[in-house]
Amino acid sequence: MNILPFDFISGLGDLRVWAIWILPFIAALIIPAVGKASKRATGYVAVAFALASAISVLTLLPSALSNHEIHNQIPWISSIGLKAGVLADPLAVIMSNVVAWISFLIFVYSTGYMKGDKDLTRFFFWMAFFLGSMQLIVLSDNFLQLFFGWEGVGLASYALVGFWYKDKKKDHVGIEGRHVLGLMDYYSPTHSGMKAFIMTKVGDIMMLAGMFLIFAFAGTFGFRELTTNTSWATAMAAQHLLIPAAVLLFGGAIGKSAQFPLNEWLLEAMTGPTAVSALIHAATMVKAGVFLVARLAPLFFALAAIGINMDQFFEVIAWVGAITALLLATQGMVHPEIKKVLAYSTGSQIGYMMMALGVAGLSKQFVDGYTAGFFHLISHAMFKASLFMAAGSVLHIVGSRFMTDMGGLRKYMKKTYIFMWAAGLGLMGAPFITTGFWSKDAIFAAVYQSGNTWALPLFAIAVVTAVITAFYTTRMIGLVFFGNKSKHIEELEKAGHHVHEASPSMWVPYGILAVLTIGVGVMGLAFEHQIHDLFVNYLGSTFGIKSDVSAVAMGGSQQLLGGFLEGVNPLALMASLAAFAIGFGLGYVFYIGRFADPVKFVNSNIFFYAIHKFFLNRWYLNAMIYWGFVVAPLYVARGLYKYFENIVLEGFNVVPEKTMAGGARIMQATQTGVSQSYLYIFGVGILIVVFLLLI
Amino acid sequence: MIDFTSTPIMLTLILGAVGVLIPVINVARKEKGSSVYGAITLGALLAAIGFVIYQIITKHVTQSAIFSSNVLVDDKFGSFFAIAMLIVGIMTTVGSFSYMRKRANPAVYYSLILLASVGMVLIAYSTDLVMLFIAWELMSIPTYVLAGYLKKDPSSNEAAIKYFLFGALSSGIIIYGISIAYGLTGSTNIEQVIAGFSKLGPDMMPLAILAVGMFIAGFGFKIGLVPFHMWLPDAYEGAPPTIAALLAAGTKKAGFAAALRVIIMGAIALNLHWAFALAVIAIVTMTIGNLAAIKQRNLTRMLAYSSIGQAGYILIGLSVAPISPIGIQASLFHILNHSVMKASTFIAVAGIVTTLGVTHIEKIKGLGKRMPITALGLTISLLALAGVPPLNGFWSKLMLFGSAIDAGHTLWWAPYLAVAGVLNSALSLAYYGWIIRKMYFEDGESNKRLQEPKSVIAVMIFSIIFIVGIGIYPDPVIAFAKSAVPIMSGLPVIH
Repeated sequence: MNILPFDFISGLGDLRVWAIWILPFIAALIIPAVGKASKRATGYVAVAFALASAISVLTLLPSALSNHEIHNQIPWISSIGLKAGVLADPLAVIMSNVVAWISFLIFVYSTGYMKGDKDLTRFFFWMAFFLGSMQLIVLSDNFLQLFFGWEGVGLASYALVGFWYKDKKKDHVGIEGRHVLGLMDYYSPTHSGMKAFIMTKVGDIMMLAGMFLIFAFAGTFGFRELTTNTSWATAMAAQHLLIPAAVLLFGGAIGKSAQFPLNEWLLEAMTGPTAVSALIHAATMVKAGVFLVARLAPLFFALAAIGINMDQFFEVIAWVGAITALLLATQGMVHPEIKKVLAYSTGSQIGYMMMALGVAGLSKQFVDGYTAGFFHLISHAMFKASLFMAAGSVLHIVGSRFMTDMGGLRKYMKKTYIFMWAAGLGLMGAPFITTGFWSKDAIFAAVYQSGNTWALPLFAIAVVTAVITAFYTTRMIGLVFFGNKSKHIEELEKAGHHVHEASPSMWVPYGILAVLTIGVGVMGLAFEHQIHDLFVNYLGSTFGIKSDVSAVAMGGSQQLLGGFLEGVNPLALMASLAAFAIGFGLGYVFYIGRFADPVKFVNSNIFFYAIHKFFLNRWYLNAMIYWGFVVAPLYVARGLYKYFENIVLEGFNVVPEKTMAGGARIMQATQTGVSQSYLYIFGVGILIVVFLLLI
Repeated sequence: MIDFTSTPIMLTLILGAVGVLIPVINVARKEKGSSVYGAITLGALLAAIGFVIYQIITKHVTQSAIFSSNVLVDDKFGSFFAIAMLIVGIMTTVGSFSYMRKRANPAVYYSLILLASVGMVLIAYSTDLVMLFIAWELMSIPTYVLAGYLKKDPSSNEAAIKYFLFGALSSGIIIYGISIAYGLTGSTNIEQVIAGFSKLGPDMMPLAILAVGMFIAGFGFKIGLVPFHMWLPDAYEGAPPTIAALLAAGTKKAGFAAALRVIIMGAIALNLHWAFALAVIAIVTMTIGNLAAIKQRNLTRMLAYSSIGQAGYILIGLSVAPISPIGIQASLFHILNHSVMKASTFIAVAGIVTTLGVTHIEKIKGLGKRMPITALGLTISLLALAGVPPLNGFWSKLMLFGSAIDAGHTLWWAPYLAVAGVLNSALSLAYYGWIIRKMYFEDGESNKRLQEPKSVIAVMIFSIIFIVGIGIYPDPVIAFAKSAVPIMSGLPVIH
């Protein structure tokens, strides 16, 4: 008997990979103890461990870029053949790097942002736990282990979104007193935490069902095992279960990544501290869904080689992404709260990534869409983390979440102003110098070139969404930094609070990311080609997906550009440029140049007024979900209780209740405490046993 | 003849010597204070468990063989039980530190725990009926005294008397069984008894069946099988809660060890429909245990009934043993898990008694705020008892029910054992959940945090780590349980 079998030790293999996700968990374990000694020290512990984890993942990057894969397994529950393992292939390592470094910067920012909070220990405990769970998702080599991380992320987000559990007024989101379809549009942190938890749980349950459905056929949860032996897919396809199972798995991603129709939790998740929002939106939670799809898409796409058509699955992904992208972008145009605008924008950008991954599966050149989606994930992680942290600084200093309470801040917060422009340009997709431009352009090209029946409508939605994105980003920057000081700020100044720049521990992290957005953006095309080449090799060697890298094949019917813009699709490029120009131009007119008053403009015309209200009320989706899944069931439950429970159950059907209670009472009656009767029963018992043995 | 380096002999020497020495030290020592004796006891138990593990790792232990021509055998089966019982002994001892602080005669108390541990350990290693009986009495007599330890407390006295009365009766019944077996086969060695049983003529069969029936009744009394369970709730309730932990988690498992060695093997040899008999007892036991637990208002009493229910689950594995290869393995795994879970719940109650002086369920409202670590430990243990994933109880129950379903290929009724088990688990969640609700969701008299006994905290932390740790990584323990399953080849197996 070996308590620690030898294959456990040898199975660990490369310890760096394990360290990536174990280190944050260790941090979470020791933070409560550290917190007893010094609350401030908890932040430093979290930062130190995040850095250590980030460094260990950075060391993996060179080998991953040469398409080297590390796959180590240890026995977990060998009686049912389960193994735990880490899988560091190029996809996981790049993702893990993004997660690790952005989280590290956010942790640094948090030490400044949360300074003086009473519950620092709790905060950093959950932050470290969050990071560890996310890295567990990224580096897992099987579904079950991934699911542990998946639930860990859900738990941490619940705890952090509802972090300010005292539900003070300033921590709410929404506009107090506003009603949509008779329901309050105003949510407390605890309510929002619960909402995030329950809505993502809907997706989780779907994912669990999909997972076990596949397990029932394949007998394994391992990603690599599922790739090498595809007999399970043939069996499932024969019973028409493969596509439902795949879509159920995608359900998990819909929940976690806040895609339509489980998108509504993301907005209320803004009740958490801003550092948490940055972590959820840029590095961890919502990216988990995209990562899951990126993990699964090649696996399912490769099934085409054995004659299984997965088009329906990829169509679902592409359309869910497209709908979410447009839906949330339109709502982002009209909201007055800065964090909510950013939240809408996250959902919308994630929609882009999903659309690209879905389109990848619908085209012959899988790698194009795949690269585009993943590239956008990287660039989005950079600029969105930066934007959130910068917005957090502004909130911190102004003390209000409404953009109408800001205005004219550019003179007072120069650094934040510049960084927010840089990151904002990334989100808008400012031509040639930002990562956002190149990644969005890659998505346009991938969608357009896919040659699928849905290519044109999807392309149109993508471009319209890009216009709206540029518009609301300009609006946000305009409202915050341009124009005159708001009444709120004047009052603050009267009370002696002067608006000033944030502390270095806060602006340095988002400064770095903003600079990176531009810095990588200048070399964006080369960067994209690099990822593209890597994925061509990775998909070819691991999944057997062949890519034709000749220019003709890549362009489809289109002639691609050469020279400086080598390999760029001219039509996609035109669309990107036009979208930016229109969106930015409109935004400039209303919010920066202030040539026209947007409020007057909206009120001037009943059509604009109606559409504004429609967007502001979130297309009434949130209200409908509440009516359908919260209010109505409560009514039904109350009604059931009143009529069914009281009359039917209490009146007629007392049998089950009475028998149970009666059974328990008989038990109790025999238990008299009188030894004579006990001995009697003992004696009878012997007779019964002998009798039982004889029959 | 006697190998002094074999595990059972060394354990007897270590534990027995220290157990005898402690009262001597007490006479010689002038100062009062109980912690010294507790520390010595803990040291002896740790040394013992260390020795068992050392023996396993250095492979001095033979494979699990049910038979030996000696009276004791140094095998993995015995070592598995020895580890489980010594863990219980350690948890009881540590949990007693705070409980015994203000009470009389600590030296005797700890000494008796050690002597009972010797008995429990020896039962697991016995391969001779007489040796088994001596070990059985060595375990029982100290626990009679311990159950009546609070001599001014009438309910403790009543508990001791009832426990003793039934203990004496069951000892008599076991002796009766042994004498029949000896009369039929001319030997008390289990191997020869079983060999003799399988050669019996039809006219002698009823006597052999009577012997097996006597063994079931005699050992079933300690295990708490229905209908031999009546004494159990009264005794657990009256005894000090730390001793209830020892009884529920320790002596009960010793009963299983004896049952595995004697009943299962004997019954296989007799080629009886014993599996069906055990299955009926299993279902009745778990159902009655859980049903009765629902109505209880007293924590110790509720836990006592819950341990009756758990005995029913363990019996599932035994009743399908000859058909399903994982039956006994699952039972062993659940025995180990249950030892820790049950000991932890009773020690938590002991902590509550020490701090608040109550065991009534209405009195523990708001415990989550008043004694957070005790409440957390109790909650996790209860959830594990109910079999909530990913705690250790989930895996062992999964294996137990799995073995029943597995046996369904041969025995048509076997899957119903799994059905009964699942229904009972759901039923048990009702009262486990009730305790948890009282602790966390209802407000107590005050929310002020109380000073929790340090020794109880230590036990809670140990059991949380054990329960969650094995829940996440059950493999080594499952493998160990597998290696401890007695080799049954050579026995006639019914189908």
